[in-house]
Order: sequence, then C-alpha cells, then structure tokens
Amino acid sequence: MFKFISAIRKEALILLRDKAGLIIVFLMPMVLIIIMSLLQEVGYSSINRETQVEVLFLDHDNDSLGIKIRRGLMGSNYFNLLDSLNGKPLTETEIKEAVKKGDYVIGIVIPPGVTKKIRSNVSIMVAQTLEGFGLYNTVLFGDIPLARADTINIYFDPTVKLTFKNTILSSLKQYNYQIESEMIFTTFNHEMAKAFPTYQPPDLVFKDAVEFHEVFPSYHKVEKIPNTAQHNVPAWAVFAMFFIIIPLTSSMIVEREEGSMFRMMAMPVNYLLLLMAKVFVYLIVCFFQTLLMILAGIYILPLFNAEALVLGNQIFALVVMTIISALAALGYGIMVGTLATTHQQAAAFGAVSIIIMAALGGLWVPMYLMAPAMQHVATLSPLNWALSGYYDIFIRGAGVVEILPESAKLLGFFFISVIITGLYMRVNNPMSK
Amino acid sequence: MSERPIIEIKELTKFYKGNDAPAINNISLDIFQNEIFGLLGPNGAGKTTTISILCGLFPPTRGEVFIDGMELRSNLDRIKHIIGVVPQDLALYPTLTAMENLTFFGNMYGLKGKDLQDRINDYLKVFGLEKAARKKVTTYSGGMKRRVNLIAGLLHRPKVLFLDEPTVGIDVQSRMVILDYLNEINKLGTTIIYTSHYMEEAENLCSRVAIVDRGKIISIGNPKELLREHPEFKNLENIFLHLTGKEMRD
Repeated sequence: MFKFISAIRKEALILLRDKAGLIIVFLMPMVLIIIMSLLQEVGYSSINRETQVEVLFLDHDNDSLGIKIRRGLMGSNYFNLLDSLNGKPLTETEIKEAVKKGDYVIGIVIPPGVTKKIRSNVSIMVAQTLEGFGLYNTVLFGDIPLARADTINIYFDPTVKLTFKNTILSSLKQYNYQIESEMIFTTFNHEMAKAFPTYQPPDLVFKDAVEFHEVFPSYHKVEKIPNTAQHNVPAWAVFAMFFIIIPLTSSMIVEREEGSMFRMMAMPVNYLLLLMAKVFVYLIVCFFQTLLMILAGIYILPLFNAEALVLGNQIFALVVMTIISALAALGYGIMVGTLATTHQQAAAFGAVSIIIMAALGGLWVPMYLMAPAMQHVATLSPLNWALSGYYDIFIRGAGVVEILPESAKLLGFFFISVIITGLYMRVNNPMSK
Repeated sequence: MSERPIIEIKELTKFYKGNDAPAINNISLDIFQNEIFGLLGPNGAGKTTTISILCGLFPPTRGEVFIDGMELRSNLDRIKHIIGVVPQDLALYPTLTAMENLTFFGNMYGLKGKDLQDRINDYLKVFGLEKAARKKVTTYSGGMKRRVNLIAGLLHRPKVLFLDEPTVGIDVQSRMVILDYLNEINKLGTTIIYTSHYMEEAENLCSRVAIVDRGKIISIGNPKELLREHPEFKNLENIFLHLTGKEMRD
C-alpha cells in the first residue's frame, strides 16, 4: 500500500507539473463540448428566430393554398420566407439558380390557380356525392372532368438532410389536405343550402380532432423534458474520457523509452501495481474532466443561448457511472500503452480506435438512425455502454440499479483489458513481477 | 576479493525474437564477492543483454544464474532486494526534483521516513548535489543527472551493483566522483558489475574484466594479467582492438 501511495504521489506530481498537458486534458474537452453542443443545437434542435432557415417563396396562387402554406411555414418559427432578392421580386428561374449555387437551401414555387383547381375538383366531388341523393340538378358540374393535379415545385440543395426534406414535404402535404377538407365541408354546406332553403349552414370551425402529447417515460421523476444538452454533454464527456488514453499511453511509453521502466522492473515492486497507481491518478483526472464538462453544460451553454444541461436527481448514479466509464477508458489505455512499442503507434492506434468506437457507439449518429446490422455492432462498443448509462441517468432518470447492466459491461471491459496487459507482460517478460 | 562466487552464470544463451544469431552465446562465468568486474565489448556484443538477464528483466533462452546462492528465476523477489541497477539511460523523471525522484525510488525498495531522508541527504552530499536537491532534474547538467542516476541504484545499499556505462557522456570531474565512490563502496563490500567503452577507466577500476564479442567471452582476467599475456600491447584498449577487430559495429 505504501509503495502504491508513493507511486500515486509521483504520478500526480508529474501530471500537475505538465501545465500544457493539464490544459489539454481539462480545457480542450470543455471547448469541444461547447462547440459540438452549439453545432448540434443549430442542426437538430430548437431553431429559433436567430437560426431560422431562409426559404425562397414564390406564390403565384395568391389564394387559399398559397396563403395557408405561407402562414403555416412562418408560424412554425423554423423558416424565414423571402419573396424578393436584392429588392426585386423573385422568379422561378432565380430561385432555381440561387439553390443550385448553394446560396439558399430551399425554394418553393406555388403555381397560379392551384387553389382554383382544388376548389373546382372539390365541387365536382361534392356534386358527384350529392347525385346519389337525387340532388344532381341543383349543381351544374355535369360532365366536367376532374382537373389534373397541379405541381408545386420545391427546390432543395442536395446537401439538405433527408429528415429535414421529409419534414418540409409532409408539412406542405398537410396544408394541402387541410385546404381540401375545409373546401369539401364549405362546398357541401353551400350546396345543401341551395337544395334545402330552410337549411342553415353552421359556421364551421376547423380544428384538430386529435392532440399530440409528448411523454418521456423515466425510471424516476425527471424534472424537465430532455433537451439537446442532455444528449450532447454525456456523449462528448464519454468521448473525452476515452481520449485520456493519449496522455496515459504517452506517459507509459516515455517511462519505457527513458529507462525508468527498466529500473522499476529491476526493483522489488509489482509493475502492475505501478500501472494501477497511474490508473488511479488518471481516474481522478477523468472525474474532474467530466465534472467540468457537466458544469459547462449547466452554466456555460446557456450563455450561448443553448439549452442548459439538467442534472436531475440521480447524482450518486452519475458519480458511479463516471468512475466506471473512466476505469474502462483507462483499462483500455494501459492495454494500448503496453502493446504499442512507439509513441506513434500508441497515438495513432489509440486515437483512431477511439474515433471508430465512438462512431460505432452512437456518439455521433444516434443508434436508431443506424442500419439494423450496425445497431448490433454499436452494442459492442464500450463507448456505447458508457453513453447508454449516462442517457439512462440524464434522460430516463435511472438510478444505480438501472445502470447495473452498463456498469457490469464497462467493469468487465476494464478487467479484461488489465488481464490482457498482465498476460502480455508475462508472455513477453515472464520474470517480471 | 572473496573466493565465494556471488554470481554464477552457467551456459547462458539468449536469442531475441526474429534473430538467428544469439545475443549471448553459452556464457559461463563466476563473479566473486567484492569484485569490480568489467564487461567490455563493442556495440552489440551482449553486455546490456547479460546485465538485463542478471537483473531479472527478461529470461535467458537457456542457462542458469545464481545470485548470492539463490537461483534467479525462483528467487527473483529476494534477489531484487539485494541488487542495485544503474541503467545506461538516465532513468529519472525530469519534471521531478532529485529529492522527489530519489524518495520515489527509495520507497520502491521499501525505504521510508527519516532513514530514507538521511540516506538521500548523505548521498546528495557525497555527490555534490545537496544544493540542487530541490531543483527539477530537467535543469541539471549531464554529469548531475548521471550522479542522481547512480544514487537511485545505491539507496538501498545493494550487495551487488550493476552499472551499465555509468560514466558515458559526462565531464571528468563527475567521472572522478563516481569512480572514487564506486571504489569506496566496493571496499565496504559491494560487488560491482560494470560495462563501459572506456578501456582506461576499466583498466584502473576493475579487478577483473571479460572482453565479450558477438555474445561470447573471448578473454577474461585481471587487466594486469591480460597485459602480461599480451606483452606486444601497451594497454587494455590495444588488446581489446586486437581481440575484437577494428571493424565498426552497429
């Protein structure tokens, strides 16, 4: 124990005297989390007045559908509709060019008379319906065929995300259905009034029959609806935590290259004990690194108009998950540091393997968006286990019991990494103790 | 010099992975208590490999080693307590002070408290480092670093001290201090096994030397005896060149 404490003191002194290293370990992850959260906030979350998407909008219809689409899009707060460019009214050719150049990502052109066609078609459909009641002669649409559907051209920049494109298209379709429904009822009433003079058509108020209520099931009481910070802070905290392997492996290889390891292997001390002292010190670093990132999520992100991280009430589970995730990262670090023979090997393999495990683990692309096969692969990544644990705590209000499966997998990963390290050292250096 | 071998090396052979030629080839050797034994040889002769095996860093491919009567592999923990190692590299932490480095290495030998601090202070005084004790090693000259490197191997007062080129790249003054101290502790009972490229240094310091080349001992004896055996040469360096050749080694 006394040798272990001495080794911890040595590691701590070395780390504390490396000012540049400390800045990298503590400051860079905070910068990372702020930048990535702000980017994600704009990309996926609450697009507000300042971050509205500009839409080139040309309304040749100037009737119900055009007005409905304009109001609907503007009312969503996601879009800022532009009718003119450089003070001149837009033309369809200009819209096409502007989107082609990438100056704008969306342009919508509503053709002339589209509402009239809808109205005409609705009247014919109503008339055909009323014919069945012997009321055909009250209307005069006899043999007029249904008008062909008009085309609303929507110009998209090729880089626009599929989900965003689908949202726009479904909104436009929804406005069209609403207009049609309203017209059907209005026309029907109108014709009924003509057929039955005593019929008093009601003032129709169109409202949604079904309301949607968002519910986020959780293990315990969660005080606030999850926001992007709830996703981003743990994701990037896990990423930064695993990146600790770069300074860790570097310190191991420096000891080997500068001869300290040679001396220590000839001393009456178990080298694994010295490695565990290193792990202990870096564990504290990981803990404070994560704490700083959480504090950045709570106090710094709101300064940039981003949503703040809500810590919830499962603090003990959060501490447990942080320690266990850090252990998994450090176990992997000592394994890479032992197996690698040079700085270059350790840095390149360490960094690339973390990036691959992060990508596979759903840190960059949510798992539910992955192909089914990749979703299975994702569950093999330790970063995914750590992230799932944090999600359980931050988003689902999970406690220590609920995060046991993830904790067990991460601890298992730590022990397997340490065992592989020990076996490798024994095989390559059987006399070392 | 005692007649009791403190180190017995029997048919020691070491092959490294991927190398057809052995790094050391069937070496048998006794080193006696209180000897200063020099292992001399050109680059790649097998000196560092021999010392690494004797310190328990890795096993031989074949052969046996006994230190102080104990078989090396089965008594490694006990043997590590009685041997000291001064590696060729400056095996120190540059951002720690000499005091912090030595406290850590002393702790690893189980030394602590006032006993350790007294030992460190004594050695720092002997090697003229007491004023620099609390400065970071990175600010030291090459000679100062070599002296701290040596102290780290001496703190636990080992019975057997292995020195791998302890005076390489240092000034004459530092070299004199180191060699004088090695002579002093040898007189007090420490057996020293020492490698060097400095033939004159070895000639003056060692009670016996072994000239090794391509993993084999090609000559062994007291430097003065070797000079008597080769009267055509005026010093050990000429004998060394005669035995190992003038061809440059990797």
